[in-house]
Amino acid sequence: MIAAALDTKSRLAAILFSIVAAVLLGGLVVGLTGANPISVYLEIAKGAVLGRGLDETLARSVPLVGMALAAAIALRAGLVNLGGDGQMLIGGLAAALVALYVPVPGVARAVLALAAAICAGGLYAWLAAILQLSLGIPFLIASLLFSYIARGLTSYLVRYPLRDPATGMPETYRVASGARLPAHIFDLPVSMAMIVMAVVAIVIVVNDRSGVNGFEWRMTGLNARFAQYSGVNLSRQTQRVAFLSGALAGLVGALLILGQQYRFTDGALLAPGYTWSGLMAAVLAMASPIATIVASVFFAALQVGGFSMERALGLPAVLTWVLQALIILCLAARPILFRKR
Amino acid sequence: MTLLQMKGITKRFDGVVANDGISLSVNSGEIHALMGENGAGKSTLMNILYGLLKPDAGEILVDGKAMDFTNPLGAIAAGIGMVHQTFRQFPDLTVWENLVFQNEPRRGPLVSADAARDFVRRLGSRHGLEIDPDSRVRDLAVGIRQRLEILKALSREARILILDEPTAVLTPQERDGLFTAMRELASKGMALILVTHKIPEVIAITDQITVMRDGRVSGTLVTKETSEAEIIKAMVGRNVPPTIAAKVTSDAEPMLSVKELSVRRAGVTIVDAVSFDVRPGEIVGIAGVSGNGQPQLISAVMGLESATGAVSIGDQDISRFPIARRRAAGISYVPEDRHLTGTAPAASIAENIVFGTHRHAAASSKGFLRKDAIRAQARKLIERFRVKAASEQLPIGSLSGGNMQKVVIAREVEHGSPLIIVEEPTRGVDVGAIEFIHQTLIAERDKGRAILVVSSDLTELLALSDRILVMFEGRINARLTGSDMNEETVGRWMMGGAETR
Repeated sequence: MIAAALDTKSRLAAILFSIVAAVLLGGLVVGLTGANPISVYLEIAKGAVLGRGLDETLARSVPLVGMALAAAIALRAGLVNLGGDGQMLIGGLAAALVALYVPVPGVARAVLALAAAICAGGLYAWLAAILQLSLGIPFLIASLLFSYIARGLTSYLVRYPLRDPATGMPETYRVASGARLPAHIFDLPVSMAMIVMAVVAIVIVVNDRSGVNGFEWRMTGLNARFAQYSGVNLSRQTQRVAFLSGALAGLVGALLILGQQYRFTDGALLAPGYTWSGLMAAVLAMASPIATIVASVFFAALQVGGFSMERALGLPAVLTWVLQALIILCLAARPILFRKR
Repeated sequence: MTLLQMKGITKRFDGVVANDGISLSVNSGEIHALMGENGAGKSTLMNILYGLLKPDAGEILVDGKAMDFTNPLGAIAAGIGMVHQTFRQFPDLTVWENLVFQNEPRRGPLVSADAARDFVRRLGSRHGLEIDPDSRVRDLAVGIRQRLEILKALSREARILILDEPTAVLTPQERDGLFTAMRELASKGMALILVTHKIPEVIAITDQITVMRDGRVSGTLVTKETSEAEIIKAMVGRNVPPTIAAKVTSDAEPMLSVKELSVRRAGVTIVDAVSFDVRPGEIVGIAGVSGNGQPQLISAVMGLESATGAVSIGDQDISRFPIARRRAAGISYVPEDRHLTGTAPAASIAENIVFGTHRHAAASSKGFLRKDAIRAQARKLIERFRVKAASEQLPIGSLSGGNMQKVVIAREVEHGSPLIIVEEPTRGVDVGAIEFIHQTLIAERDKGRAILVVSSDLTELLALSDRILVMFEGRINARLTGSDMNEETVGRWMMGGAETR
């Protein structure tokens, strides 16, 4: 892990430094296009928090926080899960299948669909872990490559056997309204997906801070051989952490299908790039769960602000991706910039 | 004639003074000891001399001429050579290839192997350090590899040779060979700097001693006129009594018993049908030159390595248990390398102390850690084991080697297991901590625990052990007790036994 030995204080300083440096560099990029960097940043900030912007930021935070935590819990235990895309797809597909075809009443169907997504995403990541443990294929590689298999598989399924012929798109039928997750609870601007994600986030934070399991995972991430010498069963733990990481990614897929898109459309889950933004947030936060949540909400705000800025100024929203990437690059560069002889 | 002078060398890292106005002067023909505990600033000073670090203040004079090294190449050009503790060699290449690397004799565009071989032979015979130019480096004994390292420095016309803890990896016989070679080099007018914290070898071979403590020179001594006690006092700043371990014999039932234990890897037998017992109330030492199967033997006992044969604790057969159940059955284990396997350096002292027992009722309940209890326990151990740490919340990696090792020992002793296995109890640890760790192990033995110690430091094994087992090529080839436990005899068995004499 990048600078894992840094204490909390210098870590915070490093993150703040990278953000400032990235904002300055991003401003330079904007300036080169002839636009005014200050007004661009102002539009991003306004767009992220003012008016409907806040709702959009919160809505976008749900999948982003989920994917970031999925990456973070694995990273914390020393596993790099690059297969979030695949796990999210498999989870989303499982949720859609249950919601469409399992004949039980509405709410039970939604609960079953979420459970199916958790199991499917988890098992998909667990398979990659098994490849590492039995054949020595690194989890990082296996999980990444499994995403392509998942993409191909889901794409085929929604184009042929599961396709809704009424639309011109490669997508499934719409999920019955009874099985959908409510977008507003008691008319508050809070969706069921937000509540589910908040509960998951709290569980992860508490487990990391005081749970016996969280402690073992963290120590393993810091020094796997020490953990092994102290009696941790590394193989079992790797399987467990991979399953949970994938399960969370699968859950994100289900929340998007049941709470937002209402059907599985080819490519729709991956288009916003939640997996990669989430990974970046987890890296930025050095896998600390609380910091990961803060970083991913920050990225969500940045992205929402970017769209708003695009509407207002006509500059491409991709700029916010450039900013995200610059932040990580600066963070990675920091220890060498200041290395002493 | 003064060959090397370092004057007022000062170096700070982030405000911490590592070297504070150090002066050192070495004559031609002299063997000069640079002593000090870990963290005293020896390595910093030597790295400055070798051009790896730039001093904040002070000057270096070679032959009276001021030098300004920006990298090791400058130091090498000025005639300074360094023999590092870990060899910088290509194990898959031959001796001559290693020696002429970057300085190859050529025939046209090609390397002339004959000229290179000839060069190696001449260099070796000139300095009394003969070596076969065509041996592959990986096949050589450690002592010969070190000789190659010295020849490498000499091939670049070094007149000042720094040897960084050269005896740490050697058998007593190899060490004697090294000392002969060092005297030979000194007699030809070279200046040698021996960095070490082993007092007997300093007394045996050096002419002058510079002792460092906390970044300053705490003593400049003439070897002939000083004593062991005076050197120790300069190193630690107080008097330390020598360790005395009463040798006891125990006839209780074995606590650990190992029968016909073998480890094979890729068809090679690394541990070969080893059997031994460790009884309550005794310390059994395992001696051996590195690479003769000691770590694999311990890994097999701990269940970290697949092995055939039987291991039992008391009357319980633990041969099929994973490590967690072996520990639970009654083994505490201090692994060889505290950074690699003994701790998670970035985690706090308290976390490192509790890890391993964090599922016990004292440290957690219903799946949640009892953080206050964990911290209190850590504070208690820090005090009892006199660990110098400002807080139990600091990362353990921020402690000095000796304090870190004390924490690891404290953790394992505190488990209360009837058997304690300790690998390299005091490697890279300062004199004060060595003393404390030895006393701790002896006290635990006297409480009736069974203790198994593996160490590459023979002096340590002789001081601690009630019995010594010598490993050679995967077997135990000698079991020594009483008057046989002396450097001469153990060293001979480490080399393979009586027939090598």
